[in-house]
Amino acid sequence: MGKFLIRRLAEMILTLFLIATATFFLLEAVPGDPLSERADKLSPTVKENLYKKYGLDKPMMERYALTMKGICVGDFGESFVYAGQTVGGLIHDRLPVSARLGLQQVTLGVVVGLLLGILAAVKRGTIADYLVIALSVLLISVPHLIFGLLLQKVFAGNLQWFPTIGWPAGKDLWFGGWEYTVLPTLTGCFTYIATYARLLKTSMLDVINQDYVLTAESKGLSRARIIRKHILRNSFIPVITQLPMSIAMCITGSFFIESIFSIPGIGQYYVTAVNNQDLSIIMGETVILAAMYIIVLFITDLLYVAIDPRISMTGKSR
Amino acid sequence: MAALTPDKFKIIGYTQEEANRIDRPTISYWQDAWRRLRKNPVAMASLVVLGLLVILVIVGPLIRGYDYESMNVMEKNLKPSSKYWFGTDNLGRDLFSRIWVGARASLVIALVATALKLIIGTIYGALMAHFGGWVDEVLMRVIEVINSIPSLLLTILIMMVLGNNLFALLVALSVTAWCNTARQVRGMIKQLRESEYVYAAEVLGASPVHIIMKHYIPNMLGILILDTATAIPMFIFTEAGLSFLGIGLKAPAISLGVLISMGQQNMEFYPFQLLFPCLVLCIIVMAFNLLGDGLRDALDPRLRQ
Repeated sequence: MGKFLIRRLAEMILTLFLIATATFFLLEAVPGDPLSERADKLSPTVKENLYKKYGLDKPMMERYALTMKGICVGDFGESFVYAGQTVGGLIHDRLPVSARLGLQQVTLGVVVGLLLGILAAVKRGTIADYLVIALSVLLISVPHLIFGLLLQKVFAGNLQWFPTIGWPAGKDLWFGGWEYTVLPTLTGCFTYIATYARLLKTSMLDVINQDYVLTAESKGLSRARIIRKHILRNSFIPVITQLPMSIAMCITGSFFIESIFSIPGIGQYYVTAVNNQDLSIIMGETVILAAMYIIVLFITDLLYVAIDPRISMTGKSR
Repeated sequence: MAALTPDKFKIIGYTQEEANRIDRPTISYWQDAWRRLRKNPVAMASLVVLGLLVILVIVGPLIRGYDYESMNVMEKNLKPSSKYWFGTDNLGRDLFSRIWVGARASLVIALVATALKLIIGTIYGALMAHFGGWVDEVLMRVIEVINSIPSLLLTILIMMVLGNNLFALLVALSVTAWCNTARQVRGMIKQLRESEYVYAAEVLGASPVHIIMKHYIPNMLGILILDTATAIPMFIFTEAGLSFLGIGLKAPAISLGVLISMGQQNMEFYPFQLLFPCLVLCIIVMAFNLLGDGLRDALDPRLRQ
């Protein structure tokens, strides 16, 4: 167990190092530099100082070393475009926004999706089942980009029930300003509803055909008890292992939603930074998001073992 | 107990031909899959819809006789009418023609990206399975590193490095997508190599070419077809999303994503400019998804009940 953890930890750090290196050299390959637009109108001395301030006067390998050293101590440098804006400050300001949006989506989507999945599996072959199947096909096939635009048009534009764009700030950051969050949350949760309804239904149908369910039935257990104690428990394994992935994805998956509803989250800023060639911000955000992602993947691996004793930790086969 | 006499052991109407006769015609895996697919009304309907879409994408821009690029300042932002079926955009260009040209671009991008994904993934997976050992380890590690970055971040980064053009978009879309194919192909080949019937074929003296043609390829084709059916809608959607964010293709190049993002700017007053491209995108994606579901049921024997 201990050996496994250490090995995984080393792998994670190596992966992160590779990602940071690859990102650095990818960004180096971007034509032009982020300062040229600002520096064009300046006198040569000021220009030189500006480049010196951001360290762009140094050769590439030296900057690489400096960047990597900075990452190790958690210093990602300052934005090239907005003076004084650091990656740390940015994450501090914007991560809660994205996190709330993501969590609301996942909570609503997963709860509704699981309920629909149970309904479809229990009432297999009935109208309810077909409705759930049709709904999930519809929700998977309509990209959330389009859902977002349509919801915005109908409920914010035509009916004026909700504000078109914006996001609660200040003391309302976590609890409050709900009317702003309704449309973005709905937009994002549809994918989760469809995914989880399908996932749980398939998994429950697998379990229903198992022998131990037949045994439970022949013992005379009530239907509700069989579903609760035998079927649901066993069919939740894929759901629980899928869940961390959804949580990890929901932060990066909200790029489009944040863009449609002008929500000041990290996804939206990433896109802005890419359009502005704000190299240090891109570098920092990529590394931090990748780190979060890797940690979640690691937790998922641990969860697999914790939930399903049939999977052993060391002899994990692919 | 009756005594066993030799006359009880006479042949009563048995011939060699009768014993060897098979009443039902033998059907191959593919004939069987096609028969199952044909029985699935949803899949067949989506196949028809896809066929219609392909025809429209090819001849659509010619139907109304308007050029998709020429502007007409006198007739901008017109509502759908008998003259302009889907209306015109803010520069007076016929939306009907533009949508089919845009859908053509989206489909071509998705198809080429899928082809890249399949080719790279299959070769990579085959290499992993063939060499095994440390080569397999190293190649697998590469996949794991690529998979541990959220794919959208990587796609955006590549777009930034290579610029907003078609080539960049294709590279960016397929750079993460091939990993999954490679894994599946690797698993499949490893499993096939160990399987008894391939071993039997080897023992019977079948040539490697015969084994590859008769066993490897037919077995892998099922996976690859499914992969294609799920990859195409995903690529169409990602392309639309990137173009919407201003990172994919940019006007004057058109694709469904570009049209949607242009429609969004005018959606307050001219909602149809947003609605039609969205509708076409949804129909394409839904048809591919439903066809994919049908193909999965038809091609995967384990799902049959």
